[in-house]
Amino acid sequence: MTDKRILLLLLAAFLLVPALADAMSGREIFEKMHEVRLRMLNQKTEATMVLYDRGGGKRIRTLTQYSKNAAPEAYKVLLIFNSPADLKNVGFLAHARTFSDRSLWAYFPEFKRIRRIPTSAQDDSFFGSDFSYDDFSGPPNLDDYAFKVLREETVDDRPCYVVEVSPKIPRKYSKYITWVVKNLWITAKVEFYREKELYRLGAFRDIRLVDGLPTPFTLEMQNVKSGHRTVVTVNKVSYRTSFPDELFTQRALERGGR
Amino acid sequence: MKKLWLAAVVLFCWASGSYAEDFLNVSGKLHLRGVVPLHSESVMEYPSLLGQLKVDTKPSPLRFHMWLEGGWDGSVTLPVEDHSTLKFGDRVYQSTTPFLEFKELYGSYSTDWLEVRAGIQRFAWGRLDEYPVNDLLNPWDYSQFLRKPLEDRKIGVPSLSTRLSHDTWSLDAVWVPVFIPYRLPLSTERWSPLNQMVSRFNNLPVNFLTSDADIPSRNLASGAGGLRLSKTGVVDWSVNLFHGYDPRPVLKATRLIIAPVAGQVAVEPGAVADFHKMSSFGLDAAFVKGPWSLRAEAAYAVGRYFNTNLERWGYPAVPAFGVYPLAPNEHKSDSLDYGIGADYRVFEDCLLTMQAQQTVILDRPDSLYQQKFETIFWANLRNGFLNQRIITNLNAAYNPEHGGVMARGNVSYVLSDYWKVGVTAVGFWGPEQSLFGRYKTNDQVEVDLVFSW
Repeated sequence: MTDKRILLLLLAAFLLVPALADAMSGREIFEKMHEVRLRMLNQKTEATMVLYDRGGGKRIRTLTQYSKNAAPEAYKVLLIFNSPADLKNVGFLAHARTFSDRSLWAYFPEFKRIRRIPTSAQDDSFFGSDFSYDDFSGPPNLDDYAFKVLREETVDDRPCYVVEVSPKIPRKYSKYITWVVKNLWITAKVEFYREKELYRLGAFRDIRLVDGLPTPFTLEMQNVKSGHRTVVTVNKVSYRTSFPDELFTQRALERGGR
Repeated sequence: MKKLWLAAVVLFCWASGSYAEDFLNVSGKLHLRGVVPLHSESVMEYPSLLGQLKVDTKPSPLRFHMWLEGGWDGSVTLPVEDHSTLKFGDRVYQSTTPFLEFKELYGSYSTDWLEVRAGIQRFAWGRLDEYPVNDLLNPWDYSQFLRKPLEDRKIGVPSLSTRLSHDTWSLDAVWVPVFIPYRLPLSTERWSPLNQMVSRFNNLPVNFLTSDADIPSRNLASGAGGLRLSKTGVVDWSVNLFHGYDPRPVLKATRLIIAPVAGQVAVEPGAVADFHKMSSFGLDAAFVKGPWSLRAEAAYAVGRYFNTNLERWGYPAVPAFGVYPLAPNEHKSDSLDYGIGADYRVFEDCLLTMQAQQTVILDRPDSLYQQKFETIFWANLRNGFLNQRIITNLNAAYNPEHGGVMARGNVSYVLSDYWKVGVTAVGFWGPEQSLFGRYKTNDQVEVDLVFSW
């Protein structure tokens, strides 16, 4: 082989490496997302949730969410509603022992009682909104899903991987398609399907960098069938928090996170 | 003293509003209620306007919490002399309107592992709905029994409580140094348990007199206490101990007096609220199995009292003027209470809650109306529509030993984040002395309008 040929091969290899690196598998894309979501776990978020019905009526709720990367447990999440009055101090607590094994509790101050929520309810409506309990929990167990990269597209001027995700375990959806922003590794758009029918549609906008972590400040989820939609606007978010374990107990749930 | 309390409340409410933004969390509710009785022979009820004010200081190790209720209670039919506007836990009969009552009023101090609370508190031990058998620290207000949800029935007790927490363990200790009696409706009111006896005089111009109970003296010996050790995990479980006066009512028969007074017939039924100490040891647990959320509890009570069959109390079949000594009507026995409950999500926004519980009277004589085993089945189907703008609740309870049934249906519509309107219909069936049958003239439709902020 002549020196010229070797040089041409090296040049070709040099040009091909980025292209090969760019052709990531769906699993690799979700591993990147998982890393980002793990870094986002130590956080406190204050948000406003607005529920719009088909007729244009709306209901406004405010909430505070705390979460913690809780190795050797996977994570802990506490979410408390601050308003309106009939939801004030209603709360939701999740302890994930592993990313696939978690316990969920809800507290209803009117009854002064904590109720356990079966994990089979994780895809159900989160307190009447179009989001699910799972949407407010931590990252998923990647082994429970199969991934397939469908194509690449641009959403809000951001290049995205379009990935089809199919659960291997029983869920209330048969698959979802997600648009993952390249290099930021967060979701810009998501579509949930039951069989082949689209039933939930989500969009995550106004992405800003907070403490170096990409954060959508507007999260919208729409129920395609009913026409209801829910918009969550992040008012304030802090990362790299270090909340004590006592914040993620049933006692704290009863006390509205205090 | 009571006027000073009232002044303090008014001052505090004013201060709450002034400093709410900086220091306090204030929320409240106004509730307008109207009742339409469905039986012509049942006692009527006027509309009620009730208010609720909750105040919490912002999070800090030292915290203050207040839950004040008050307003005009339409279920009160007679003005009762010498009852103050502010309800204290010092009387069995406190039917008064307008009224004010502290449901909760306490200060607390907490660290990562310890919380101490002092003041008027309500507790929620046990796991079952309706009759949690380990939930004995708060006496109940029976003045609108079965109309009010469990938490509204509880009367706050002045108490000192501590909770020690470590990892997934916690230990609660509660001391109630002052005796607080349960509360009963007057015999002429809509939710009186003596309605059947009162009905015997329906054709006469009768003035029913109610003697207040002989309440145990307020000293340390009449206090109560409880311990609860809990662990959370795949199964949440607790062990409970209680010692104090039985919060469930029992009546002592004394003597029936029927006498002519100022052109009317005065009747003193001679059934006086009675109080007995008891001890209880219990267990409760909650866990998830597949799509089911399950909970269970059991309690063994030592030294509870039960009333005998009303037919054995000695009331005359045909009432006439006179004094009638009544027969002893209380029986002491240990008892075992247990039950299991389950939640199942039928579909999104539709939750089915079921419960079965049983009381076993271990030493039951034939003179008791209650059977050795008394069972109640409860079921509730809650459904939300239009993103929970419309909520429906269908509720049924069945007592197989006596064939008693209660059925209730409720629809509420959320008009806005502040306004809600609801309609509730309830019906009772069964023999006159059974848990549900004793209220069978209380079938009613209730309309509510709620403003909350």
